[in-house]
Amino acid sequence: MDWELTLERAKRAAEFCAAAGLARFRVEEDGIEIEVRRSPRPVRPPTAVPAAEPSAVPSPNGAPSRETRAAAVVKAEFVGVVRLARPAVMEGTVVGGDRELAYVESLGIRNPIRSSGPGRVVAVHVSDGQPVEFGQPLFSIESA
Amino acid sequence: MMLRKILIANRGEIALRVNRAAHELGIETVAIFSEADRESLHVRYADEAFCVGPGPVARSYLNIPNIISAALISGADAIHPGYGFLAENARFAEICADHGLTFIGPTPDVIAKMGDKATARALMHDARIPTTPGTGILADAAAAVHAARKLKYPVLLKATAGGGGKGMRVVFDATEVDHAFATAQAEAEANFKDGRLYMEKLIERPRHIEVQVLGDTLGNVVHVGERDCSVQKPSHQKLIEEAPATGLSRATRERLHEIALAAARAVHYTSAGTLEFLVSGGDVFFMEMNTRIQVEHPISEVVYGVDLVREQIRVASGERLAFSQKDLSPRGHAIECRINAEDPSQNFAPAAGTLTHVALPGGFGIRVDSHVYTGLQISPYYDSLLAKVIAHGATREETIARMACALAETRIEGVKTTLDICRSIMRDERFLAGGVSIEFLPDLTAMAPLGT
Repeated sequence: MDWELTLERAKRAAEFCAAAGLARFRVEEDGIEIEVRRSPRPVRPPTAVPAAEPSAVPSPNGAPSRETRAAAVVKAEFVGVVRLARPAVMEGTVVGGDRELAYVESLGIRNPIRSSGPGRVVAVHVSDGQPVEFGQPLFSIESA
Repeated sequence: MMLRKILIANRGEIALRVNRAAHELGIETVAIFSEADRESLHVRYADEAFCVGPGPVARSYLNIPNIISAALISGADAIHPGYGFLAENARFAEICADHGLTFIGPTPDVIAKMGDKATARALMHDARIPTTPGTGILADAAAAVHAARKLKYPVLLKATAGGGGKGMRVVFDATEVDHAFATAQAEAEANFKDGRLYMEKLIERPRHIEVQVLGDTLGNVVHVGERDCSVQKPSHQKLIEEAPATGLSRATRERLHEIALAAARAVHYTSAGTLEFLVSGGDVFFMEMNTRIQVEHPISEVVYGVDLVREQIRVASGERLAFSQKDLSPRGHAIECRINAEDPSQNFAPAAGTLTHVALPGGFGIRVDSHVYTGLQISPYYDSLLAKVIAHGATREETIARMACALAETRIEGVKTTLDICRSIMRDERFLAGGVSIEFLPDLTAMAPLGT
């Protein structure tokens, strides 16, 4: 295996990933798999107790810093069981303005969870069939 | 079959109280909380916890769909409502049953009947329970004038759906009826979505004495003695309670107990409940029945040596009461002081803020039911109760001395509290003499600067 070539390919894959604004990029060629991921955002493990809002540290001039451009967090309004939409929304999925991402089933009623604007899903905080509480983060979506 | 897992649909000290009783019985617990209560002890002490909504109660502690959903998801088989919130909501009790959940309280039918004051009075009247002379629902102000002439002024106009002094007016003569009727009706409409009013003869300077009852589903009913709750704020909310009631003749005390048992039997009562009476001299009048555990239940517990919440859970499981009437006898005297986040100099207006220092009392004969700790934020959304200090002694004098020492030890800083006024009441000659009427505290706060 040409180690140099593999590294070069990986670097180019990373550049492409960044340029295209993807969270994750995977390529398979000549029996070599390359997967690159952007790692700035820690992905919270699914838990019954949602952590605090993503920290919004304002830059000195008061404008939101690059970090806080981050993402809108779509949260559960109902206590229930989350069911992800099919096809499943994943990290990197680009969604339209009003896409149904999942629903929260509560007392037999399906309460749809929709994206509130076009953007790219940067985190899926829950797994299919997981119980969720009020205010629990479901998806983080970076606006387009 | 004993219950296995209880969702506690409440917050604060009563959620902790229920949590303890359940854990002692080997029953798992599920807490619910609002976003404002994330740091609360009831969330920490329960086996599981679900956030059910934001701070305002209408969207969290009264959010029936989210609460039921949390119970179902967690696999709870019962819901304990505590007091306040959904505790006397007959519809909620029905919804629990519809979802296969045991509501730890009486049946929806009994809650509904007792929750409607005019219906409760009529029921009690039929069971030959003495009620204050009064009327059924009044059609209009003219009917009220007519009724008042018969009852003789002063009279009370009351909302049938009412509670907490809302929709209630004292009327001293005919010229006041029109205005009182209109404002009480509007207040009742706004607060309870039910503007119907009835009238009662005003009993002047009565004592508020209530009797604790317990029933099981097998038809057994016992009373757990009386509590004197005459030290009330001008809003008729209780501040200090004691058991037994001091200075009652033996005949009056026994009559109160018998009436309470008869009333509980008349409605086939199947949980912990309280019958409230106005007592004036030897006269006893039924006022209302509270179909829930009450804030002041610990004073009965320490005097009778029984755990009322444990019994609530046991009878909800279909078990027989753990004791019969002959097993129950009072021992000594107990007093409870409610330490609230309120400003007594501002008519007990609720206070909010962060508790900068909390030190609760202890020692022989002292029980403290509380959920507060240093650093806790007291939110304006909820009841202002911070701690219940309960003293138990061999005699009333010993109990008052013990309470005075306990209150002297207590520190709750960062918000205005009722601590100082409770301390001064423990030194007040009228309180020391015993048997004060419900006018005692309003007179005291109107007269003197407090907290000195």
